[in-house]
Amino acid sequence: MLSFIQQLREAEIPISLRYILEFYRGLQKGLAPDLDRLFLLARLVFIKNVEHYDAFERVFSCFFLGGSPWQMPDWEEVFAGKPFQEWLSEQIANGRISVDELRTYGAEELLRRFWETLLKQKEQHHGGRTWIGTGGRSPFGHSGSAGGGIRVYGRGLHGTAQKVIDKRSYINYSEKSPLARANLSQVLASLKNLKRSGPETELDIDETIARTAKNGGEIELVFTRELRDRLKLIVLLDNGGYSMLPYIELVKSVFGKIRDQFKDLKYYYFHNCVYGAVYDDLARTRTIPWEALVSRGTDTHLMIIGDANMGPFELMASNGSLYIESGDRRPGLEWLKELRAAFPASVWLNPIAKEHWSVESTTINQIGRIFPMEDLTLAGIRNAVQILESSC
Amino acid sequence: MKFEGTERYYLSPELGEIVNISISMEKPLLLMGEAGTGKTRLAFEIAHEFGMNMEEARCKSTFKGEELCYVYDAVLRLNDSRFGSGESGRNVNDIWDYLRFGPIGRAFLAEDRRVLLLDEIDKTDSDAQDNLLDVLEDGSFIIREINHKVSARQKPVIIITSNAKRELSDPFLRRCFCHYIPFPGIEEISIIVRLHFPDIPEQLLEACLTEFYGLREQGFEKPPATAELLDWIGAIRSTGANGPGAGKSVRNIGTLLKRSKDLLKFKGSNQRINQRIPTR
Repeated sequence: MLSFIQQLREAEIPISLRYILEFYRGLQKGLAPDLDRLFLLARLVFIKNVEHYDAFERVFSCFFLGGSPWQMPDWEEVFAGKPFQEWLSEQIANGRISVDELRTYGAEELLRRFWETLLKQKEQHHGGRTWIGTGGRSPFGHSGSAGGGIRVYGRGLHGTAQKVIDKRSYINYSEKSPLARANLSQVLASLKNLKRSGPETELDIDETIARTAKNGGEIELVFTRELRDRLKLIVLLDNGGYSMLPYIELVKSVFGKIRDQFKDLKYYYFHNCVYGAVYDDLARTRTIPWEALVSRGTDTHLMIIGDANMGPFELMASNGSLYIESGDRRPGLEWLKELRAAFPASVWLNPIAKEHWSVESTTINQIGRIFPMEDLTLAGIRNAVQILESSC
Repeated sequence: MKFEGTERYYLSPELGEIVNISISMEKPLLLMGEAGTGKTRLAFEIAHEFGMNMEEARCKSTFKGEELCYVYDAVLRLNDSRFGSGESGRNVNDIWDYLRFGPIGRAFLAEDRRVLLLDEIDKTDSDAQDNLLDVLEDGSFIIREINHKVSARQKPVIIITSNAKRELSDPFLRRCFCHYIPFPGIEEISIIVRLHFPDIPEQLLEACLTEFYGLREQGFEKPPATAELLDWIGAIRSTGANGPGAGKSVRNIGTLLKRSKDLLKFKGSNQRINQRIPTR
């Protein structure tokens, strides 16, 4: 049994001594007379976070049911992910892959085509050329049931341990997978800034005593305001460009959640890199003057969401901006440095997974040296929130 | 003592086992999951099944945790000391007359074992949760004003629910058994519907569920859940219609989708998809 616990630890599930004692207490009480109930007892005792369900189920099935080791490459995770699903529905909608063809493809063939398309998109963009509209394709919408061995997302049912494990019902919550809305809001919630505000409802006992004493015993009640959360946050969002396209759904879900979470929130848009001004609207027509933005830096947190992936000349050249009309004379890098200096509490969130940063583009590293950068996974956002917390 | 579900509440075998394990280990059970999966109902059903009394705390964001145990009404006491307590029978010299016990306090002080429900604990901030840690762990709290320790006579059955609106602090999670309730699948939901509408025709049920899961897939901001489904079927049955309707003419859509944004999306879903193609 201890080696089972050891394996859970190796799967990066935090286990404390207290859980182990509790687990044995449960066993002693005879709460696990069969495998199903052992599964439930172990899960209740060891797993406190829904993100770890998936890893737990894999370890359990490996240990007790002799399944394959838990570090298997996870096709399902890729297939279930938004970018792939979107790509697939797009291909079908365009007629590039017909549904019949799809059935004949294996998983690997599909993956290969998927990466090919993505890489092509990236190359086009690196060249700094504008892209050619493909017309009529929609990166949104729902993938229907596709053949070819691709599991279309199903909800888990209750059932025996074996059944649950086979279904992998908690795949959605794995810490490394892109975010589900529920767990994202959990992380964002830990960001706060307490200040006294609101109506004066709390009795200030010290002050009451002092005033009462001064009054010669005539009671005077003094009330004060309660501590409340008063956090200010600016979100800068890279909304333009092909390079962000594969991540639209992901960013939308993060963005929507951020909007729900914070009361005092402003969001502005930019394209690729910040050149002296940011925009108030999606179409990037109304500008917010640079001075107005940076002057808010002292008491406001800044969160930038973008892939930080651009042609190096966009970042370095003194007229780097892709758009002629902007006519800026300073390289994007300088603007970013100034932004960073103005906002002591700032962080850059990148939808590209951390492992791929160095491969994807050199500009990611350059920007990463200016802003603390994290990726848009649950772990990444948690780190980002910690960075913001510790810098105010 | 074994919990097996009641006639109005469908209990999945898994959840039943989990409840029984937590009761015998005397650990608080934290239920997470989307709204409408029966988290809160479970506590009531446990109380009903075992004939226990309930203590219920609906959490608010302003809670600090302590008021769930007790509140010391200093203002009332000051007022009484200044103007006299009049007919109320309160004795200004006796602090116990100015202590009010909250749900946790009442559950601890009761002679009988009670079910204690802390509903939507995620609404409170993490300080409140930290304050509750030791209270739940040891089954006792201290009235600070008089340094008096209140210990549970009978450790209550503690059920905590969370919609995951905010993160619960790690130490808090450590002290609970946590269970995530997934949304019921089609078989389970049929059982649930039949518990409420025993005479529903097979065809109608099937048509409704197909439409219902179809709507859930569409990514509405507040996807319809079990409670909405039951309301909806109730509405369809009371109008005497023989089917749920399909596509945009789904009957009584207002019982399923509550947010105006979702309703708009539902009504305009066909045109909207075309408009969302990026122009660049």
